[in-house]
Amino acid sequence: MAEYTVFFPREKKQISVEEGTNLLEAQIQAGLHPNAPCGGQGKCGKCLVRVLRPGQEAQVVKACCEKVTGDVTVETLEKEELHVLTEGVAQLGGLSPELRRLHLQLPSRRDHWELSEWERLCLALEEAGVPAEDGTVAEETVDGVAEPGSGARKPDLRVARLLARAGGNRDGELTVVMSGSRVLDLWEGAGGDRRLLAAAFDIGTTSIAGYLLDVESGEQLATDSAMNPQVSFGADVIQRADYALAGGLEELSRCVRREIDAMLGRLCEKGGARREDVYQVSLVGNSCMHHLFLGLLPESLVHAPYQPVFREAIRIPADSVGIHAGEGAEMLWLPLIAGFVGADTVGGLLATRLGEEEPLTLLIDIGTNGELVLGNRDRRIACSTAAGPALEGAKISCGMRGADGAIEHVQVENGQLRCQVIGGGRAVGICGSGLIDAIASLLEVGALDESGRLEGNGQQDGQPVYYLTQPDAEGPGVSLSQRDIREVQLAKGAIAAGIHLLAERLEVRLEDVERVYLAGAFGTYLNPESACRIGLIPGELRGRLQAVGNAAGEGAKQVVRQREAMERAQKLAAETEFLELASLPQFQDAFVDELEFPEGL
Amino acid sequence: MSKVQEVAKAVEMGKSKIVGGLTQEALDEGTSATEVLNAMIDAMAVVGEKFKNNEIFVPEMLVAARAMKKGVEVLKPHLASGAAGQAGKVIIGTVAGDLHDIGKNLVAMMIESAGFEVIDLGVDVPTEKFLEALKSNPDTKIVALSALLTTTMPAMKATVEALNGLENRGSIKVMVGGAPITQAFADEIGADAYTADAASAAQKAKELAA
Repeated sequence: MAEYTVFFPREKKQISVEEGTNLLEAQIQAGLHPNAPCGGQGKCGKCLVRVLRPGQEAQVVKACCEKVTGDVTVETLEKEELHVLTEGVAQLGGLSPELRRLHLQLPSRRDHWELSEWERLCLALEEAGVPAEDGTVAEETVDGVAEPGSGARKPDLRVARLLARAGGNRDGELTVVMSGSRVLDLWEGAGGDRRLLAAAFDIGTTSIAGYLLDVESGEQLATDSAMNPQVSFGADVIQRADYALAGGLEELSRCVRREIDAMLGRLCEKGGARREDVYQVSLVGNSCMHHLFLGLLPESLVHAPYQPVFREAIRIPADSVGIHAGEGAEMLWLPLIAGFVGADTVGGLLATRLGEEEPLTLLIDIGTNGELVLGNRDRRIACSTAAGPALEGAKISCGMRGADGAIEHVQVENGQLRCQVIGGGRAVGICGSGLIDAIASLLEVGALDESGRLEGNGQQDGQPVYYLTQPDAEGPGVSLSQRDIREVQLAKGAIAAGIHLLAERLEVRLEDVERVYLAGAFGTYLNPESACRIGLIPGELRGRLQAVGNAAGEGAKQVVRQREAMERAQKLAAETEFLELASLPQFQDAFVDELEFPEGL
Repeated sequence: MSKVQEVAKAVEMGKSKIVGGLTQEALDEGTSATEVLNAMIDAMAVVGEKFKNNEIFVPEMLVAARAMKKGVEVLKPHLASGAAGQAGKVIIGTVAGDLHDIGKNLVAMMIESAGFEVIDLGVDVPTEKFLEALKSNPDTKIVALSALLTTTMPAMKATVEALNGLENRGSIKVMVGGAPITQAFADEIGADAYTADAASAAQKAKELAA
């Protein structure tokens, strides 16, 4: 089959592809990360590019629907600068990391001529009071070898190689990098200017947030964010899972691992640090992100009863998943709760201490998926609702992510709607927080009734729409259609119904919920008053809402900052019950109940 | 406006809180249960038509369907058995691996409103369960399958294939639907019909059963 050249002038990249390859595939092959919320089905129209063919006028087309039939130049359109939330609630608790450095003086060879190098290290560790790894004692002792003490460990070839190099014939001074009782690395002498660093990542369906920390000082050295490169394969977890099940698992795994590795590089660069000083990397993400990262086929996740392959926390060598970090560096994944309530929610529980304190608390994390947890230290129930896409703007006609040009807030002033735009420039679309505000404002000025019927101030394609900003010579203006309003009703109905059903299952009244934590970007920028006004959050909870930032990311940081955190996470995950809304007979009724907007006050 | 008209209007507007009361009042006035039921069915047909024309959307459909359900609950004891379901039997269910039932319930409701007797097998229904239901209801005219997740489309395919292997396949029609389903997919797996929404599904069911 013929091959043709595709040139991307903006990125200064050129690749050759087979005839018939579509331009979305070509961008992926070129290592670009095109946004394709519908996974290349030609439905969403968000993968637009400008195509230049010799002798033809430039044309804007959907990349996924345009095939390569000859050499072609493809201009990708302006990439939205993504605003990813990397800030979180104030760090709770002290600093007690698993990672630590231990200065050792190996016993002299002269005095212990009978000991192997490994045994010398074990003896030194024992003298330093380090318990044997996981309590294991060497099982076989060969006659004639001095009896190693209780600190004996099975030889670890990787560490033995380091020992052979570093323990050598000098004065036997060593610095051991430990994670708990595990030896990760050996530094000669005192270790010079080496540091003990850890990175934490929150892998969202849409974006990834990363943090670099010095675990000895507790200082956060850098933050970074990036688009999840898997967006090229669909906007939601079902589409990703679908792609994985159709043979794309390895591709999805590889691209997100690469991105994490690249982010680690950027974090180190920003923080003036070295990769080889990073000894722990902790990760949170929803169950699908977890499975795809770890290379687990998400078959069981997306078929009833929607269970993960495993839910326990794991600790693996970072290099086994393509992360280039310090010698022997560990990667930690927080545990999952259920197929649709993942490690990100567990991170949120850790960071907010919801499962460890007395007051009845509701945690709401609305990202591309919405997860809810209600309870306290005695009992907790979690559920998940498919609410995100509309609230993130994906299913809204003028919807966009929280980037420059997005209307982020709307308020009523003297009976008129006033919009606040990210970046202060011209409004080109509306993001989730703006959408909720806009609907609350439309209810207030009477352009929307309780049933959700819209009284437009204009028309588009014969349908009434409400212009938030008027069309003019420069552009079409930002408007909401009746369909947009209905999409929001479905999303908010699902979340509100989820909240009611959690309370019902826990046998508590919403009035008794003392705190409502809003996590994630949407929760942070959301105006609590608007959320209650439109019934996204039941009115009973008004006045108790508090934004907690990227709580999932905070949770990921805690496990590298505090050695008990991983165990806490494991306990929280194991003891949090899961409520499957889809199989609850009363869900539909509760959902339909919550579709309408509450009457005004 | 007569009481029957009020009932119809309340269904159309999705006023589930008042439908029950209005229905009772209509009965008390001497209107026959069948007449009230027909008025509700007509109201749902109006709702379905508006939905197809993009005048209303899923939330209003759901609200109207629930209002109708409330009215039917009041009517049930007054309806002569067999009054409903004259158009024939329909077996409906969400395919294996899929727990989503709101769309399926809406289709069931609309099909029931169109005069069919609906046997709803629920969600996560394995192929065998569809086959068993067919065996115990040999007079079934239509089997309707729903899938919301793209990942459960293969399960839909498997069930349709099993149905296509039945000896009496000629006497039943297979309908499929759900967010990820398309006409092309329906053709590929050998289903008789695909419809994009609940209202069209009811209409199609009538055509297929005629």
